[in-house]
Amino acid sequence: MNVRQKYLRVTHLLFIVLIAVQFLPDKVKTDTHISYIIWFFSAVEVLALTVSWFIKKKASLDLFLDIVGTIYGLFILWTLLTAKFDVLKASLFPPPGKVFYQFIEDYDKILINVKSSLGIILEGYLLAAVVSIPLGLFLGWTARLGNAATYVSKFLSSIPPIVYIPYGIALLPTFRSVSVFVIFLAAFWPILAGTMSGVLNAEQRVIDSARVLNVKKITMMFSVILPSALPQIFLGCNQGLTVAFILLTSAEMIGASDGLGYYVKQYSDFGDYTRTIVGIFVIGIVVVFISFLFNRLQRYLLRWKK
Amino acid sequence: MSKIEVQNITVDYEERNKSFTALKDVYFSVEAGEFVSVIGSSGCGKSTLLSLLEGINSPTAGTILIDGEPINGTGLERGVVFQHYSLFPWMTARKNVAFGIKQAKKELSQAERLELADKFLDKVGLSEFKDKYPSQLSGGMQQRVAIARALAMDTEILLMDEPFGAIDAKNRAILQELLLDLWEGDGSEPKKTVIFVTHDIDEAIFLSDRIIMMSANPGHVYKEIEVPFDRPRDRVQLIQSEEYISFRNELIELFYGEIDNEIYDDDYDDDEYEEEVYAE
Repeated sequence: MNVRQKYLRVTHLLFIVLIAVQFLPDKVKTDTHISYIIWFFSAVEVLALTVSWFIKKKASLDLFLDIVGTIYGLFILWTLLTAKFDVLKASLFPPPGKVFYQFIEDYDKILINVKSSLGIILEGYLLAAVVSIPLGLFLGWTARLGNAATYVSKFLSSIPPIVYIPYGIALLPTFRSVSVFVIFLAAFWPILAGTMSGVLNAEQRVIDSARVLNVKKITMMFSVILPSALPQIFLGCNQGLTVAFILLTSAEMIGASDGLGYYVKQYSDFGDYTRTIVGIFVIGIVVVFISFLFNRLQRYLLRWKK
Repeated sequence: MSKIEVQNITVDYEERNKSFTALKDVYFSVEAGEFVSVIGSSGCGKSTLLSLLEGINSPTAGTILIDGEPINGTGLERGVVFQHYSLFPWMTARKNVAFGIKQAKKELSQAERLELADKFLDKVGLSEFKDKYPSQLSGGMQQRVAIARALAMDTEILLMDEPFGAIDAKNRAILQELLLDLWEGDGSEPKKTVIFVTHDIDEAIFLSDRIIMMSANPGHVYKEIEVPFDRPRDRVQLIQSEEYISFRNELIELFYGEIDNEIYDDDYDDDEYEEEVYAE
């Protein structure tokens, strides 16, 4: 790609439009904080230009710029519909600058909530993985030899884990421990089921190859069965992660005193929709970021697959 | 005493409440350092026979002796190369070989194992590909890695189950020559005892000292034939010689003669016959 192909893009035109739109006269009476928009998206644009320089493949660059362009487009639309033409009701739809402003204002509070939510997710999820993967390996192996374990886990995993919340509240001392418990259950079944099906579907010929090498039982389990089940373990882990986030935010809306779900619920109860939107955005960013890290890990560990 | 003695092996399977005899009274022996091919149409039980030698399955009746001792399960004196999936897809070529060495030679350090793995990958001409995963290698290259691993484990016996069955003709010829080269070695070490399962008559003649022909329903040894050609063998010279042509014709006559008998056998199951013909 030459420089023209690289930099002569609609995305950058959209950036200019986005900035220009900010200088139109405001129609709403509240402060629209356009400087926050200008600073933030200028930073995004600088980042986009820098990243473009390093992307070699045309398809990847197209994808990347399409994503950035779509974000610009949405913010142009949002700015026009709220601050500039006041089409949407101002109390329900704050202008984008205000959301950014509120985010900066509440930054410390948000960070505490993010930490609280991530702490619970991490604890419950890791606990689930540490217990369910070895258990899945063992149960999968015995089920492979013909056993009822599969059916038992099928029954238990079909119960939606959210129904354990009230019971958990009765059983456990603090809201945090209930949350961890619910996340644990939420992630436990998909990971267990994924691990078991990975073991059950492990290629017999690969196992035979290990047998003729006279491997010890423990080597068979962790150096042969585990890696061959890994693709399906990851399927289960992905599922578990999605369910964990859904459940945690729901649980936080029900009875927490901090966390991202709490943040969103509390402010929407008070009719502060700017903060509600901030909370929703933050949740989105956190989930995207976690899935990104997770995909990276998965791609690295499954790099041997075609 | 022979290196391997297969004594009156019978294998029965239960399938849908119907008993099926895969092997019946199979009896033969293999001397130390001998290269023996087992040949037969599919369904004759040659792969079942090999799985017994590998120790993956056990016979319903009869015993297999190695150095006079009955075998019990898998063992490190036997190296195996399968047609598919000999390698672990999550390990690089080098790690695959090193993993085999680790099982066979526990006294070696990790560095020594990797060094030995590199040496054997070099022998099969794959030095450049040692850090590739099996999915990044061609079928022929994968089999080279599997052979490198079996040889690096330095087992006395090598069991090969149609190792070149899925390889194209040209690469198959190259692999056969590579295998013979490695098996013959430089004379400094005793030759390995090889049992090589195939359904390719030319492959069996080119490689072996002796050919064991099997036939189906139930699987049994039908004929044992010494291969009368000196080593080292030159493929081009060999296949052009009168002796080769007449020997090959003789084998084909035996081979297809037996298949004809199978077809006209009254007990013969029609469905299975079709499967056999189309599978080959």
